[in-house]
Amino acid sequence: MRETYSRLMDKVYLASMWTAGLSLTAMSLIIPWAVFTRYVLNSGTGWAEPLAIMLMMVFTFLGAAVAYRCSAHIAVGMLTDRLPARAQKALAMVVDLLMAALCLFIIVYGYDLSAMTWNQYIAELPGLRVGITYMTLPVGSAVTLLFVVERIFCGSQHERPIVRIGSEERPHSIDDVVAKSAA
Amino acid sequence: MDGLALLGSFAVLIAIGVPVAYSLGIASVIGALWMDFPLSADMIQIGSGVNKFSLLAIPFFVLAGAIMAEGGIATRLVNFAAIFVGFIRGGLSLVNILASTFFGAISGSSVADTASIGSVLIPQMEKKGYPREYSAAVTASGSVQAILIPPSHNAVIYSLAAGGSVSIAALFVAGILPGLLLGATLMALCIYFARKRGYPKGDSIPLRHALKVTVDALWGLMTMVIILGGILSGVFTATESAAIAVIWAFFVTMFIYRDYRWKDLPKLMHRTVKTVSIVMILIGFAAGFGYIMTIMQLPQNISQFFATLSDNRYMILLSINILLLILGTLMDMAPLILIMTPMLLPVVKALGVDPVHFGMIMMVNLGMGLITPPVGSVLFVASAVSNRKIEAVVKAMLPFFGALLLVLIIVTYVPGISLWLPRAFGLL
Repeated sequence: MRETYSRLMDKVYLASMWTAGLSLTAMSLIIPWAVFTRYVLNSGTGWAEPLAIMLMMVFTFLGAAVAYRCSAHIAVGMLTDRLPARAQKALAMVVDLLMAALCLFIIVYGYDLSAMTWNQYIAELPGLRVGITYMTLPVGSAVTLLFVVERIFCGSQHERPIVRIGSEERPHSIDDVVAKSAA
Repeated sequence: MDGLALLGSFAVLIAIGVPVAYSLGIASVIGALWMDFPLSADMIQIGSGVNKFSLLAIPFFVLAGAIMAEGGIATRLVNFAAIFVGFIRGGLSLVNILASTFFGAISGSSVADTASIGSVLIPQMEKKGYPREYSAAVTASGSVQAILIPPSHNAVIYSLAAGGSVSIAALFVAGILPGLLLGATLMALCIYFARKRGYPKGDSIPLRHALKVTVDALWGLMTMVIILGGILSGVFTATESAAIAVIWAFFVTMFIYRDYRWKDLPKLMHRTVKTVSIVMILIGFAAGFGYIMTIMQLPQNISQFFATLSDNRYMILLSINILLLILGTLMDMAPLILIMTPMLLPVVKALGVDPVHFGMIMMVNLGMGLITPPVGSVLFVASAVSNRKIEAVVKAMLPFFGALLLVLIIVTYVPGISLWLPRAFGLL
């Protein structure tokens, strides 16, 4: 049961990771493209800015969920590390519950915000509703919540192979580069 | 009292191990409930905290640096630095500091600086007879330069936290001299230790090899030329220059250095999503937190508190520095910039301190916080790459703390170091 849930979460994780990663890639291409059209093609691209910002929202809130499953967020372990194991476990549960509460809060109020702005459109990009931009908040938090639930019932998953992708050795080991530059 | 509910709950949340970003989020909800303030307004602030064009610069700057750092730029910069200072007594320790200066021109991340330069140089330094903990101390303290030398994403975060009233261009240019001053001070200390302890000279590098190494490094260092050139000439905005730097960094690592194979790219994506998104979510929640803080009129109260403390600006700058140093030992840099800037900027502005100058004070000060225990991300990385206990590294670092403190005092009390260059460029 737990393993089934975690395997499902692997899929959610990968989907979020790719969505966030491709958003980051796309926004890194859109802004230079806008510069290119401005200087070379002499035509402004008004849509580039709001689109890049929307992609940044997607990237931020899904990326944060992904980073939560990897335990990549900055936290202070100085005090809790010194407690006895049982107290640590109890506090970890409190932390998870607080995280879940925050996620629920953002799901509810973020959805409201999105609904409130649903009928507003971004001037430079008529197809894009303001509400869609804000939809990233509840969606990202819902994914985070799924991972929080996983942590509560199955423990931290940051050692899982899928989660470790990109956290292991550099793509090229330093020795490779040293050898290359010496040659 | 209101402030206590907000700051107190934040402190408790951090202490029990809630990630800093989410602690800011939860504390702002608690603050909003305490003030009986509509939660939806808090939500809008969190959302719009990330919904800004100026914010785009931050992921781009982090990403450009990350792409370069994940490739083999560190080795190239180390080889390049060796041309200039390698032959002096204590050569490798000086190379370490100078390579960090160059690294700072590509990435603003001290952690990446320590990880990549440390893993290249610490083993080499050990072969030449430098103790590992000393090498770790040199690497970690040298990496603080990355925060000052442009491009620095922390400077962008400061500009954002200051409400966008401080130009990124001015902050970037302002960081150059304090960064170089820091590098020079650390190098002087390294030379002193090298003479006292008899660390060896390195070899001087033959001209032909030096030329090759220089060309190799210049490809990477062009990143800073693109960014600063673009911003100062007005051709690009800061955000655009950062995005172009990402493309450039990718082009250089992929096609000039050939550090990545295409099949490595998904891994690179996994890695960068994790590192960049944790900064971004922090900014979002800090926006909500800052908003509640403003509603509670915390910045004004803190200004008034400092005003009652003294009307002498030197005393107030001193006490602010002490406060930041203490907070810096406990917390990471980005959240502190986001939380403390709106509180402290009104205080120093009232005393006639230029916001750009104050930004530099914060950078040096909080940069020191990265290498001080109990919580110092750069210190942890330095201890990991050198395979030495944190205590041992801290002990070796004590004289370097002294050097950094000296630089902090100079940067605090000699505004010209921060302001002369931006004035010369007409940015102030």
